[in-house]
Amino acid sequence: MNAETLERIKEECRKLPAEISYIVGFVRKQSEPREVVAVLKPDEVDKLSFSPLSFNNPARTVMELAKDNKVAVIAKGCDARALKQLEKEEKIERENLYIIGISCPGVIDYRKFRNTVKFRLAEIDSVELIGDEVVVKAGGEEQRIPFSEVIFENCLYCEQPTPKDYDVLIGEPREGKVDFSDIEEFEKLSAEERWSYWMDVFSKCIRCHACRQVCPMCYCNECLVDPSNLAVSPMTPAEEKAAYPRVLGRTVNAADNLIYHIVRVMHHAGRCAGCGECERACPMELPLRKLERKLEKVVYEVFNYSPDEEIPFLSKLDILPEG
Amino acid sequence: MEDFEPKIITFACNWCSYAGADLAGTSRLKYPPNVKIIRVMCSGMVNPAWVLRAFRQGADGVVIAGCHPGDCHYTVGNYYAKKRYILLKELLKFVGFDDERFKLLWASASEGKLFAEEMTAFTEKIREMGRQEKLRRKIE
Repeated sequence: MNAETLERIKEECRKLPAEISYIVGFVRKQSEPREVVAVLKPDEVDKLSFSPLSFNNPARTVMELAKDNKVAVIAKGCDARALKQLEKEEKIERENLYIIGISCPGVIDYRKFRNTVKFRLAEIDSVELIGDEVVVKAGGEEQRIPFSEVIFENCLYCEQPTPKDYDVLIGEPREGKVDFSDIEEFEKLSAEERWSYWMDVFSKCIRCHACRQVCPMCYCNECLVDPSNLAVSPMTPAEEKAAYPRVLGRTVNAADNLIYHIVRVMHHAGRCAGCGECERACPMELPLRKLERKLEKVVYEVFNYSPDEEIPFLSKLDILPEG
Repeated sequence: MEDFEPKIITFACNWCSYAGADLAGTSRLKYPPNVKIIRVMCSGMVNPAWVLRAFRQGADGVVIAGCHPGDCHYTVGNYYAKKRYILLKELLKFVGFDDERFKLLWASASEGKLFAEEMTAFTEKIREMGRQEKLRRKIE
């Protein structure tokens, strides 16, 4: 995740097969040190950028784009996992993809980074990961931050730092691990403690649906939690609108928010790529991955299923426990 | 709280459990009137959101009743039901909700007796547990 990685990415992008019409990669934001997902033409390779602050997941963008184009994508381990999942669900075709895989040591939590860095964000020239240190350079000055201080917490439990499926791989392959120690720790609390913890968490939720919006797995055109999917015209009387079927209450209180999050998470059983976009997108900084990881744990332990298997979790029926 | 009557919502599949409940009725077996049955075409169509909504609307217990594994009218519907049931139950437990209030029951069309017995036992259990206060909609 340093200048060398970026050079390798650019080098690989210059010698892409001719039929590729777009590159989905990371481009640095103006006035901020982080990168955002961008769609580039193959002749715009020089705009590309990459750093430990390239934390976004390009899978959703690729899904929209790869329907009738051939697309090259720069993917970290979790991004490739999301792409694989979309491929399993027949949302994209592998032939349309050219995956430039990156062996990822973890990304930086931007919120922690903003609080730790001593420069103004607009002044920062480069952020690099060298060894165990994040090196921030701004106007000739340099700040070194230990990576463990700013790492995105989700990356500590990464299952797949290196893509399993790629056309070219940049960096040495890394070993992932299946580690649910944080969830096991939480499960030791009593039911009342857990309930008050989640009520406290979800009383902050403003139900902005950002977690759903960024999730690479939440691609349904019609979502269960949307207020109403039935047509409303100016002539629709209020009583009729009020009687429209809905799963969730209109109120934004802790119990309704809990239901929203349980329903959202249920839909990701055996599919979640573990990129942590939900947590990054959350404006209230809620620990959404905890609920998601609990479900991953159930899928692993009760169903003995790994999301990397070829058959989707939903269609696999011989994994049910006895009884 | 003295005369607490639990409210139990049962999603019963059209082909087995609903017929089983019907058999319990026609053979004059008694089971508590606290059990409100909602007929669905298959236990596999029960959306987890409905279960949560039932709790939200004040149900003290929710039962999903379907055909025995292998007997589903739609071949595999009850396997989906079981998969969802396990996931939802584990999540409810994780957030600290009493997951005992949520139950899956396999009852075939000929098991009217079993249906009545299970429902009586479940109602008694919920009666002991008391009102479901955690998800119930309150006037705020």
